[in-house]
Amino acid sequence: MTNSIDELEKADCIFVIGSNTTEQHPLIASRIQEAVRKNKATLIVVDPRRIPLTEDAYIYARITPGTNLALINAMLHVIIKEDLVDYQFVSSRTHGFEELKASVAGFSPEIASKITGIPASTIEDMARIYASADRGSIVYAMGITQHVTGSKNVAALANLAMITGNIGKESAGVNPLRGQNNVQGACDMGALPNCLPGYQKLEDERVVEKFKGVWGDFNCEVGLTVTDMTHHADANNIRTMYIMGENPAISDPDINHVKAVLADLEFLVVQDIFLTETAQLADVVLPGASFAEKDGTFTNTERRVQRVRKAIQPVGESKADWEILCEIARAMGCDMSYSHPSEIMDEIASLVPSYAGIDYNRIEKEGLQWPCPDKNHPGTKYLHKDKFAGGLGKFTVNDYIDPAEMPDEEYPFIITTGRILHHYHTGTMTRRSWALDFECPEAYIEINPSDAQKLGLSKRSKLMVTSRRGSLVVKPLITDAIGEGVVFIPFHYNEAPANILTSGHVDPKSKIPELKVTAVRIEEVK
Amino acid sequence: MPVLKKKNLDTLIQIWELEYVILAPSRLGNDVLLAEYNPKTFTLDYVNFTLPPKQYLFEMKEKLYDWEKNEDGSIKLKEPAFNIGSRILFGIRPCDAYSVAYMDKFFSENYSDPNFSAKRDKTYTVVLNCITPGSSCFCSSIGTGPFGREGADMVFTPMGDEYFVEVLTRKGEQLMRSALSLFEDSSPEYLVNKARLLKEAKSKFTTEINLDHAAELLDRNYDNHIWDLYTNKCVECHGCTFVCPTCLCFNVLDSADAEGGTRSRHWDSCQSSYFTRNAGGHNTRSETSKFRYRIYDKLKYITEKFDMYGCVGCGRCIQTCLGHLSIIDIVKELQKYEEDISRSESRDHRCDCNLYIPQTAVIKEIHQETHNIKRFIVQYENKDLHKSFKYQGQFFEITVFGVGEIPISIPWAPSNREYFEFVIKKAGRVTTAIHNLEVGDKIGLRGPFGRSFPTEIAKGFDLLFFGSGVGLAPVRTAILHSLENRESYGKIVIIARAMNYDGLIYKQDLKNWENIDGVEVIYALSEPSEHVEAYTGKLDALIKSLDLDWKNTRAIACGSPQRIKLVAQDLVELGIDENQIFTTLETHMRCGVGKCGHCKVGSKYMCLDGPVFTYREMKELPPEY
Repeated sequence: MTNSIDELEKADCIFVIGSNTTEQHPLIASRIQEAVRKNKATLIVVDPRRIPLTEDAYIYARITPGTNLALINAMLHVIIKEDLVDYQFVSSRTHGFEELKASVAGFSPEIASKITGIPASTIEDMARIYASADRGSIVYAMGITQHVTGSKNVAALANLAMITGNIGKESAGVNPLRGQNNVQGACDMGALPNCLPGYQKLEDERVVEKFKGVWGDFNCEVGLTVTDMTHHADANNIRTMYIMGENPAISDPDINHVKAVLADLEFLVVQDIFLTETAQLADVVLPGASFAEKDGTFTNTERRVQRVRKAIQPVGESKADWEILCEIARAMGCDMSYSHPSEIMDEIASLVPSYAGIDYNRIEKEGLQWPCPDKNHPGTKYLHKDKFAGGLGKFTVNDYIDPAEMPDEEYPFIITTGRILHHYHTGTMTRRSWALDFECPEAYIEINPSDAQKLGLSKRSKLMVTSRRGSLVVKPLITDAIGEGVVFIPFHYNEAPANILTSGHVDPKSKIPELKVTAVRIEEVK
Repeated sequence: MPVLKKKNLDTLIQIWELEYVILAPSRLGNDVLLAEYNPKTFTLDYVNFTLPPKQYLFEMKEKLYDWEKNEDGSIKLKEPAFNIGSRILFGIRPCDAYSVAYMDKFFSENYSDPNFSAKRDKTYTVVLNCITPGSSCFCSSIGTGPFGREGADMVFTPMGDEYFVEVLTRKGEQLMRSALSLFEDSSPEYLVNKARLLKEAKSKFTTEINLDHAAELLDRNYDNHIWDLYTNKCVECHGCTFVCPTCLCFNVLDSADAEGGTRSRHWDSCQSSYFTRNAGGHNTRSETSKFRYRIYDKLKYITEKFDMYGCVGCGRCIQTCLGHLSIIDIVKELQKYEEDISRSESRDHRCDCNLYIPQTAVIKEIHQETHNIKRFIVQYENKDLHKSFKYQGQFFEITVFGVGEIPISIPWAPSNREYFEFVIKKAGRVTTAIHNLEVGDKIGLRGPFGRSFPTEIAKGFDLLFFGSGVGLAPVRTAILHSLENRESYGKIVIIARAMNYDGLIYKQDLKNWENIDGVEVIYALSEPSEHVEAYTGKLDALIKSLDLDWKNTRAIACGSPQRIKLVAQDLVELGIDENQIFTTLETHMRCGVGKCGHCKVGSKYMCLDGPVFTYREMKELPPEY
């Protein structure tokens, strides 16, 4: 998030796209509700499903999955055409405006309307409301990124924020909501193929020298993304994998393929807190300690580095991830040892400029938000205040393309996937809790009443859902919360794993899979 | 009564430790929890424990039985071993001790719960009274604290470098006997001191709410849309029910293999969707009913079923809520909603016509009540107005055409539907003009306006009415209303005050009321009278001599603000809740509709937000009335 969570309450316009905030970030949703109910903010929600947040929305636009970019480009078109641009901001803080202008000049709301299913006048209204906000905040999540246009979607949202000057100030910015407690921290620490901790580029010699000074020599090749790894393993270019805290046998696209590839590896190590579907395929399982059994930090969605504290001793043979990693490193001949995670944090501070001011003493009571460049720095509430990281903000050109798999005669429905309130991701933890599993013990597929009628379904039907990759059987939930021609399935359930259906199509840049759009057909089974 | 030197507390605990496991306030990280005594973590610097003591009597997860399949196919059942030693819950707060008393009733009534009894029998409670409440504490509004006795075997009240100790049960005696030498005798001043400390502690609460009629309030607002708004803000974390000392629901789970298994019970939450969902998928509670249920259970259902408070006022559910929801806010919002409705209803009623134009009315009768007070019976010229009239509000604006307008309170009974009655004392220009009118003359009426004396019934309460001089007139409405619902109340005492008998109004009414069973009329006059037996002594002595159940008494008083303040102070000392003392402050009201600004005291318009206020509300006003 470029802003802090609390700042959302003071935004005067909040544009939520591709985020089921109420179910996935309930506390952030309650800030948005406060903004609307108490502070009279205007809320715009764009989603294929009439999610709970729409109850507070001034405009709810039901969008056809996979067409976000068409909508955003049309909003840019309207803002430029109607002269709602913040020229002061554009001229002083950005470059590339003319190219952007040219790229969206032909992209009228009428054209976008045909693609997105949103009326042209609604697109115009959304553009006008957002552009005229003093403190407009964009909130998005996986509904924006899990598309072949994922990186373009994000870049287009950045265009929207910059063209209207809605960035670099309190309560105005671009706010991706992180879907895991510490995915921000994992990325910060360089769990990416092309970065060292703190997003320092592997290609930068000075950076590499700095790290080598502390770590000794290491391999500096740019690595592979998760989706690429599967392809390389399939092609026998990868023969060993070490998977930590990830359950690709449920969460990756096309899991029939993923499971076959993992089973075929020469050596698979899985480190997790439970024997997950992926761990069941492993040659060696390393038991990790859960959040309650270890000390450390999690960095949350607002860049806040927060302490996590050991409440109980690790159960059985489990150990904290850092201890396991150090032991493996030592076994492989690397002298890696720390007596406490605080020492690792001190090392991070010495190597990562944005974490330079963070140590365990400072975050004993309350976490700090990076960038925090020195020990006296109070942390950073919102990013890009006077300038962007690279100086000027660059407008990008992001031409619309359709999702990789469009519905056709054989596969007439678009299926989109997501999570629900009571379960988390692949259910490794939540489905082991009786109380949470009782809340929603079974998978279901949301289908519009008119589609259900066409297919002759009742709520007692059993449906076979089939894509080009596989099929699963699931019960229908007939609801007009979802539009015609689109169905939704939560992906938590290994009894009906949604990712049997999803495709291997990825965003060319980030390699994120297009989990939100897959063509399927639906049949009733007896 | 014994006292214990604070410096001897450690010794006391050490002595007890020989025989008992001591669970005591312990600082663990940022929390203070009730945990096994350890001198290193022991602390007395705490408002309350993060978690209530219920986990020691009703564990988060506890075994109900084990079973085994024998080789011959028979099933062997085994009761869990309750190997619990005697233990002392030391330093629990009165609110939590009350919850222990509630658990006693809950788990023992009808069927006695074996798991609970096994633990409870071995459990002793030593309560530490609260001197400083926390920011979310509201036990004083409920009545469970800040000092308490229920659920306690012993109560410690900190006083300087000592604890004043009260031993309340056999278990308490047992505890005291085991360390008898440490306790010294106290003098009677300690009780006085305790009362003073209680008063001080009560004055420190920042969270306060009138919950006297919460159950009725909830009854009336089951379908209020406010529930939907709150439901929608609940993130379903179930934290409120887990930290609640009186939430005792559980779920039963079986775990088994081929040879046998275990049945156990686990804390469960009515805030989960599955709680009431049946096998077919039907759920008897919607999302809204689910949310609403907890509030009803705490403030209504438990009380109805067990005749105890369902909420102990510890405030933990408020502190723990991720959605920043508060049971207090909800009740206050419902209360405000009702106030707004009653205001807008009376407004709707009045707004059929121009706000400022009176309805004409005819004077039907005039009675000389005293030498300068007259009673006027008046009727709208348009008699239909009487039919559609709603009996609400506290006063009318009465116009003498060509002279002016004055606010006059309403002394009618709601059952009286054909005419109005006003009692007017000759005081200024307009009242003098009214006194000069005759039967058949026309006046103008605007109203009724303002907030009236409470008309909802405080069932089982004693009632005290106090009317000084013409102040008996506004009080009369409330008197008549209560007499019409006589069976709902305990004793009713009416004090009519004046300089002398001649200064009293409603002399005939007073005589009639005297003859009603359970109603006492007291003439508090400055001069003795030949007509009645009058009390001529000091008012405070009179009030103190009354035989009323003060804790369950409502007082309605009207007189000069100075007089009311004195009376109210006496009443509070006797034990009446400040929210049960009502008075009316009819100061400078002109337009009657909160526009002209004359009657504004602080942020309140007397004509709109008043003129009736509780003593609590009255004290919050700047003293400019």
